[in-house]
Amino acid sequence: MLKKRIVGVITVKKGWAVQSIGYQRYLPLGRPETIAENLDRWGVDEILIQSIDRSTANQGPDYDLIYRLASRGLNTPLVYGGGIKTREHATAVISKGADRILVDASFYDHPEEIRRMASVLGAQAVIASVPLLFTNSGIALWDYRTQRSRGWPSACAGLLTDSIVSEILVIDKSHEGTPASFDISFLETPFLRGSSLIAFGGINKPCQIKDILDMPDVTAVAIGNFLNYREHAVQELKHSLPKGSIREPYYELLHS
Amino acid sequence: MTELRFCKRCLYGSDHPLGLVLDDEGICSGCRIHEEKDQLDWQERWNKLRKLVQPYKSVGNAQYDCIIPVTGGQDSYFIVHTVKNLLGLKPLLVAYNKHFNTPLGIANLANLRIRFNCDIAIKNVGLRTVKKLTRSTLSQFSSIYWPILAGHTVFPVEAAIRYKIPLIFWGAHQGLEQVGMFSHEHEVEMTRRYRKDHDLFGLEADDLLSIFDTLTESDIWQYRYPEDWQIKEVGLRGIYIGNYVRWDPKAQHEEMARLYNYKGAHLNRTFDTYDYVDCFNYMDCHDILKLFKHGYSKVTDHACREIRHRRLTRTQAEALVRAYEKRKARYIPQFCEWLGIPEESLRFLLDRARNQHYWYKQEREGWVFQGWSTKRVNILSESQETRGLTDIHAEFVAHSTLEHDHDPKYIVIGKGYSEKISS
Repeated sequence: MLKKRIVGVITVKKGWAVQSIGYQRYLPLGRPETIAENLDRWGVDEILIQSIDRSTANQGPDYDLIYRLASRGLNTPLVYGGGIKTREHATAVISKGADRILVDASFYDHPEEIRRMASVLGAQAVIASVPLLFTNSGIALWDYRTQRSRGWPSACAGLLTDSIVSEILVIDKSHEGTPASFDISFLETPFLRGSSLIAFGGINKPCQIKDILDMPDVTAVAIGNFLNYREHAVQELKHSLPKGSIREPYYELLHS
Repeated sequence: MTELRFCKRCLYGSDHPLGLVLDDEGICSGCRIHEEKDQLDWQERWNKLRKLVQPYKSVGNAQYDCIIPVTGGQDSYFIVHTVKNLLGLKPLLVAYNKHFNTPLGIANLANLRIRFNCDIAIKNVGLRTVKKLTRSTLSQFSSIYWPILAGHTVFPVEAAIRYKIPLIFWGAHQGLEQVGMFSHEHEVEMTRRYRKDHDLFGLEADDLLSIFDTLTESDIWQYRYPEDWQIKEVGLRGIYIGNYVRWDPKAQHEEMARLYNYKGAHLNRTFDTYDYVDCFNYMDCHDILKLFKHGYSKVTDHACREIRHRRLTRTQAEALVRAYEKRKARYIPQFCEWLGIPEESLRFLLDRARNQHYWYKQEREGWVFQGWSTKRVNILSESQETRGLTDIHAEFVAHSTLEHDHDPKYIVIGKGYSEKISS
């Protein structure tokens, strides 16, 4: 059985890694490449870079950032999201050094383009971002461009049933950046049933992570802000989870 | 480079080298996090710190409970006072010899050891190695302070591993204090990542080795961060006291001067008299490089801090910045003599560091400054001030001078000049 994963998330705004709190408040952290290098050394299972201002600014993917990350010679698989609208964007992101792509706005706006991306890269290389929140009428999608909630576009359903994307990044929008607050009911959302899910937003406690990873559809837990507060945050987390379900923690030797 | 914007409350710009986020109201992340100082229950946070350190207290007082990195300036007295007298721990003090020591800094350090009756370990990297490294970092990326920052941040970790002491105390987290990198409630701890990213400009010791430079492994190994497994084996944590105590450097220094005879001095390029009195170069050549590279200097950091503590208005702060940031360095001859280069060569290297976003050269006038203060055009007319700069200066006490009745020469080995201040 495939082991489940701990994904380290680096949120990038104006080229700078930031802490993101509820998709509304941001605190500066540092250079994305130094944080990625650190997560790599700590043995995180996958690194997800999300450049959150590329689509709204219509800037396309941040190729320079991907190149800088790739030139660090990281051993950890790299996922890049931000500004990917076309198949050409997607293939360029992979050719610059990312292993997989994360699509957000284009997943809803241009599902046919997502099909084209998957036909070139393979579905295993495509992840869809699904930020969710509770509204008076139930669970809704969060559109970060309009800063409003919206319904689930029917055109997207086919992308999941046809396995055009390999995994869904399920984001608890309201609780992002708030400790131990991820609402597990988002992972039981009817339109996501049967898909492979990565949980993200307000996840940091080992008992919470264990409960989430125990859910059959969940393949990974993604953590952002909380990996920046302590030395060896990834290894500490892995030490506190049951053995066998995830890759063992390790401590890289540099000079010894 | 994106458009430079300024915080509406302090003087920081959006291209701050530590990163700075301006919110929808135009207030920076540093000012927002500073608001927590008036919102958090500090007694509750202090109790949390007491509980956190409890397992580290040894029985019988026969071994060290923790390590405190110290200098003869900045916040060392307050940290030792807090850890030893208020938390009741037995610290081992550790200091990295920065080689640019002022007589006042050495006197402060000697007094610290005597007043608090603490043991101290001093790391003294060979002079020729330090000079070679300083030449390289100055020419490679315009820093004369990389070896000091690297030594000051690695030696405590080395000592912790060598003596198996699993706790290091630092003062405030610079990223939190200046740009609001973390909330106090995140309780951020020392990490190798932060050290590399911000303290060391993104370059660790091994990153300095290059086929285009003469540095070898024997020059940099003293500055290498210990292995992850060594840190894990000791269970080492580095705690920032500023997460648990309402951090206010001016008030703290004044208390330390009153309780323990800590001495401040006038510094040529800022109004603050308490920080960095241990070094001839931090507020001198190093500060000039900061202005050249980043378009602002340390006086802006001090001014922003004082705005946030509501001891300065923005207009007063701006006036102070303009009064200080263009002042000339005073101790360049000493630095050139130490490094073994002519002043013209240093001037060439300093000019090379000028960032074209903040400087341009005119044929007749020479270098023209267009840094942060030149872009903040309306602040001086924001309010009519009743308190002049002389009154503000009077609130920062200079108990001595950097020379401390000695020659303006570096004290290379910290033997201690305690005869005048220990009583």
